[in-house]
Amino acid sequence: MEHIQTQTTWWAQLKKRQPLLHFVLWILVLLTFYPFIAMLFMSVKDNPQFVHARWVPTLPMHFVNYRYAWQAVGRYVWNSIFTSGVTAVGVVTFCSLSAYVFGRFDFPGKGFLYILIIALMMIPGVLTLVPSFILVRDLKLLDSYWVLILPWIAGGQPFGILLLRTFFEGLPGELFESARLDGANEFGVLRRIVLPLSAPILGTLAIMNVTSTWNAVIWPSVTISSNRYKTIVFGLWGFQGQYYTSWGPLNAAYAISAIPLLIMFAFTSKLFIQGLTSGALKV
Amino acid sequence: MSVWKRLWHSKHLYLFLIPTFTLLLIFSYYPPISAIYNSFFQWDGFSKRVFIGLQNFRELFTDRVFLASWRNLFILLGFNLLIGISVPLIVAEMIFNVAQDRWRYIYRLLFIIPMVVPGLVGTLLWRFILDPNVGILNIILEAIGGEGWRQPWLGSPKTVLQSFMIMGFPWVSGVNVLIYLAGLQSIPQEIFDASRIDGAEGVSRFFRVDLPLVMGQVKLLLILGVIGGLQAYQSQLILTNGGPGYSSMMPGLVMYQEAFSYNRIGYASAIGLVTFILILGATYINMRYVKSASDITG
Repeated sequence: MEHIQTQTTWWAQLKKRQPLLHFVLWILVLLTFYPFIAMLFMSVKDNPQFVHARWVPTLPMHFVNYRYAWQAVGRYVWNSIFTSGVTAVGVVTFCSLSAYVFGRFDFPGKGFLYILIIALMMIPGVLTLVPSFILVRDLKLLDSYWVLILPWIAGGQPFGILLLRTFFEGLPGELFESARLDGANEFGVLRRIVLPLSAPILGTLAIMNVTSTWNAVIWPSVTISSNRYKTIVFGLWGFQGQYYTSWGPLNAAYAISAIPLLIMFAFTSKLFIQGLTSGALKV
Repeated sequence: MSVWKRLWHSKHLYLFLIPTFTLLLIFSYYPPISAIYNSFFQWDGFSKRVFIGLQNFRELFTDRVFLASWRNLFILLGFNLLIGISVPLIVAEMIFNVAQDRWRYIYRLLFIIPMVVPGLVGTLLWRFILDPNVGILNIILEAIGGEGWRQPWLGSPKTVLQSFMIMGFPWVSGVNVLIYLAGLQSIPQEIFDASRIDGAEGVSRFFRVDLPLVMGQVKLLLILGVIGGLQAYQSQLILTNGGPGYSSMMPGLVMYQEAFSYNRIGYASAIGLVTFILILGATYINMRYVKSASDITG
C-alpha cells in the first residue's frame, strides 16, 4: 500500500501556527494597552517615584492613593452611577412603550410620527447644544440631576425606538393572540409577555446608553457648576490643575472612573453579545 | 372607517407614545428650531434679541478664526478617516485569518477591553505621553535620535495637529474592528473556496474578495466618521482650548467659546446651523456616491 506523503516538515508545521500573525497582533495589543497599564502603575506611585521613574513600574506600590482619590471623586462616581442608571431605566421604559405600538400596531399617522422620530438622528449636537442650554437655564434646571437625566432620556429615544421596534416586530404573533384571548389589555401584554422576552435587547440598549452617558463631558461642562452634581468623567477634567503635585492619586482617580463600566461589562457581556446577534441590528 | 373613527379606535395606542413625545418636544424638537431662529439675531442670552438678518452668516465667512478652524478640522478629519477606516480593517482581517477559534475570540476581547476606560481619561493620558519634558514619546525619540528629535507636541502650532493625530496609536481599539469582523464573517465560505480554486490567495484574495464584500461596512464607517468628525472638538477643548493661538481650533470649539465665553448666542447658533448644513451635505454625498457592496454585487 502506498503512503501518501503529506507535508510534515518542521517549518510547514511551524507555519501552521501563524507565528508572524500572532506576533504582530500581540504587538498591537501591547501598544493599545500601554497607556492604560502605565496609568495603573502611575496610580500607585508616590511623588518621588513619579518624578524619578515615571514610565516604569516601581515598588513599593502605594495603594493608599486610591483612598485619597476616592475622597476627592467618590461623590462624582455616585453622581454618575445615579444619573446614568436613571437615564438607562428611562430610556428603556419610554422606548419600550413607543416601540411596542410602532412595532405591532397600525394607527393613523404611524408612518409620519415614526419618521419624525428617526429624523431626529440627523440633527447634530452642535446645532442643539446652545439652545438646549438656554432652555434648561430658563426651566431652572441648571446644576441638578434632572438637567442631565431628562435631555439624556430624550436623546436616547430615536435610536432606542429604532432598535426595539425591529425586535418587537420580529416576535411571533401567536404570543399576542393567546394573551389577548385571556383578556389582557395592551399594557398587560407588553409588561407580562413582550418585556421578559426582550431582556437581551433591552439590556443591550441599557448598556449602550450607560456607556454613552458615562462618558459625557460637554453637556455636564455647560450645565453643572457645583461639586454636588458633577459626574466623574467631567469631574476628572477639573483636576488638571488641582492635582499637579499629586499624580499618583490623579491616576488612581482615572482608574476609578473605569471600574463601574468594567464591572458592568463583566457581568453583562454575555447578554450584550446575545443582544447584538439577536438579529435586531442589521449592520 | 373614516380617519376620525380610526383615530378614536386607536386612542389608547397614542397613550403609549405620550412619554416619548413629551420629552422629545421639549428637549429634541424645540432646541434646533430655537437655534435656527436665534441665528438671525444678535443676542447675549439675557437682554432683548436684536434682529440682524444674515449678518451673523456674513461675519462667519470673514471670521479668520472660524475659517482657520475648518482648515484644521479637514486636516484632522482626513487623517482620522484614512486611519479609522483602514487600520481596523487590516486588524480585522488579521484576526479573521487566525486559525483557532479560541484565539480569535481572545483577540476580539482584548481589543475591546480598552473601551471601558472613558475617552476623556484616554485623552488625558495621551497628554502625559506627549508631554515635551517628561513624556514617554520624547524620551523614546531622544533615545533613538538624540535631543534634536524631541518635539514640543501640544505646545507648538507646528506640531499640535500632529499631536492630535498621534493620539490613540495604534488606532485599533473600538467597535470598528468588530464591525469589520462581523462583515468578514458573514461572507459565505463558498466564496472563499471558489476564490482559492481560482488562485486568489492572501493579499490577492483580500483585494478581490474581502474588500469589495465589506464595502458596506466601509461606507457605514465613512458616513459615521464624517458626521462625528465634523462636530468633534472635545479633545481640543480639554487639552489646548484651540491653542497655541488658534492652531488647533475646531468649528465646534469656536461655537462653544462664542456661546459660553463671549455670550454671543446668535453668532454661535449661526455656527451650529452652518455646521449642520455641511453635515447634511456630506452625508448626502456619501450616500449617493460611495458604492457599497450591495451596489456592486446587486
